[in-house]
Amino acid sequence: MSNIWYYVFTLVFFLFDYFILAMGLNIQYGETGILNFAYIGFVAVGSYVTGALALPSSVGTGQHYILGLGLPFPVNLILGGLASCGLAVVVALISLRRLRTDYLAMVLISLSLVLYDICNNFVPLFNGADGLYNVPEPFAGVLKLTTNSFIPFFAAVTGVIAALLWWVMSRITRSPQGRTFRAIRDDEVVAAALGKDVFRNQLKSMLIGSFYAGVGGGLIIQFSGSFNPTAWLPGETFVVFAVLIVGGVGNNVGMLVGSLVVETLLIHLPAFLPAIPGHPGLIEYFDSVLIGILLMAMLWFRPQGIVPERVRRALSLGAPANLVAGRGEAPGSAPGRPVPVEIATADAQGEK
Amino acid sequence: MPALTADGVSAGYGRTTIISDINLTAERGNVTTIIGPNGAGKSTFAKTLVGILRPSKGRITVGDVDITRMPGHLIPRNGLVYVPQNDNVFKRLTVRENLEVGGFASRANPETRMAEILAIFTDLEKATDKKAGFLSGGQQNLLAIARALMVDPSVILLDEPTAGLSPAYTDVVWNQIARISQLNTAVVVVEQNVERALKHSDFVHIFVAGTNHVHGPAAEIADLDLASIFLGRSGAH
Ligand SMILES: Nc1ncnc2c1ncn2[C@@H]1O[C@H](COP(=O)(O)OP(=O)(O)OP(=O)(O)O)[C@@H](O)[C@H]1O
Ligand SMILES: [Mg+2]
Repeated sequence: MSNIWYYVFTLVFFLFDYFILAMGLNIQYGETGILNFAYIGFVAVGSYVTGALALPSSVGTGQHYILGLGLPFPVNLILGGLASCGLAVVVALISLRRLRTDYLAMVLISLSLVLYDICNNFVPLFNGADGLYNVPEPFAGVLKLTTNSFIPFFAAVTGVIAALLWWVMSRITRSPQGRTFRAIRDDEVVAAALGKDVFRNQLKSMLIGSFYAGVGGGLIIQFSGSFNPTAWLPGETFVVFAVLIVGGVGNNVGMLVGSLVVETLLIHLPAFLPAIPGHPGLIEYFDSVLIGILLMAMLWFRPQGIVPERVRRALSLGAPANLVAGRGEAPGSAPGRPVPVEIATADAQGEK
Repeated sequence: MPALTADGVSAGYGRTTIISDINLTAERGNVTTIIGPNGAGKSTFAKTLVGILRPSKGRITVGDVDITRMPGHLIPRNGLVYVPQNDNVFKRLTVRENLEVGGFASRANPETRMAEILAIFTDLEKATDKKAGFLSGGQQNLLAIARALMVDPSVILLDEPTAGLSPAYTDVVWNQIARISQLNTAVVVVEQNVERALKHSDFVHIFVAGTNHVHGPAAEIADLDLASIFLGRSGAH
């Protein structure tokens, strides 16, 4: 396989993978209004756990990590997603019940820094700064895939998983459950006043989104065979936010478009461009600049994103009616149980 | 039995007590209005009734169910539903979705219920697919009321449903309130405008500095020297 196809399928992989990541962040932030600034931490947990579960026992591998069960794909991937959900439960119980959006966001930023420091420095967990490597490639043995044929193969697998997760997510967002999420996003107090358990619904949304984050992360380590702290600097969360904002918050199709523009075109494509002579590595720094400019431009000119949130239409009930609401009888004369006017005197409050 | 009873309710924020020893009942088919100067504690009382604030003293019952320390989201299914003072619609949801969110708390078939409600709120009927944020302020208030009715409540609690509306639309809202009470619902309204409150309600409670010592049928309240009561010269400490 020529180099060009290697690049193309790598881009395709990241397109699908960031589509999954964006859908997960979208259910949390776009649909439910939870500003999860630790999102990349959830991705990382999924990635590490997926990888560590696929790897054999760490004895003699030269790496240090927990788990090491040699589980087959996709069992490890699903467990990686669930590990991310486990983190969500902890975070939700500690902070979601007590904190409102902006304070929650601050706590989550700190959380992502703490997670990062733990994984980076506590070697026995996931091999510290070196991260996990030599993670077995799924099906490579069975299908006799070479390093070259594995890349298009796994890009396709990721595409299938993304399609499946998209189907599930559209069902969720179109259901009454999705409507409840959006109601909570718009106003927690009013949603509660209508009988919605805000915390329970936010927790559900966190769990769904975290599963997507974990699976997206797991696919990354399975695709590249390795994962280390440089892959999930806390700022990476904002790349996923950029995918959302550019594509269109609250719209699943928008996630795919956002992923294409931000992740594929802006982040990964430049990595394949030839280096500027005399300034190796400079190109990579253009990513952040370009994303920053793009974000500002989007928020300025098209805040709803490339594909805006759909207005969910349904059949109208009955025919259009008169402009002014029907005027009923004024009730001023309605007879009530005659109750004497009570004008309390100072001693009427004496019971205090 | 009254649809709503507040018995000696005191509440506040943190350690500050804002309302003390409030007694109030509301009957099905009646409009009970709470009036009083700014900061008197009307909204605080409303929030206490629906579990947003915890009462430090007293008892609140809806029908024969004690809701005093019930988590807020369980209260609507016991028959009490609340429409807050400001920002009371889900702005990015359509009118229909707003109503549907309310409908899922009730046992009734939401579609049938929605048709009944849209028949009353004809203004909303032609806007069902519009995002609620694009409605006028008055329409938003009506939507919030209509959505609360989706729950099929025995008591509906409205905090200043006419705040900021034009006089014409204020009448529209009050007429709807009248209709709702005729559907055998107990309506409790917090209102700034004394004249309107007296005109449209059956019972009136005057809140002054966190107490409601003055209350009674609207006709009798109308005869009182309200200005002095509002200023705390009568019935207060
Ligand atoms: N969240 C809060 N924290 C602390 N104090 C508050 C809070 N909300 C209101 N208060 C105080 O409680 C008192 C009563 O406020 P409340 O909103 O109940 O008045 P109100 O009668 O509804 O007034 P208005 O007619 O202006 O709506 C005021 O002194 C107010 O400053
Ligand atoms: Mg108020």
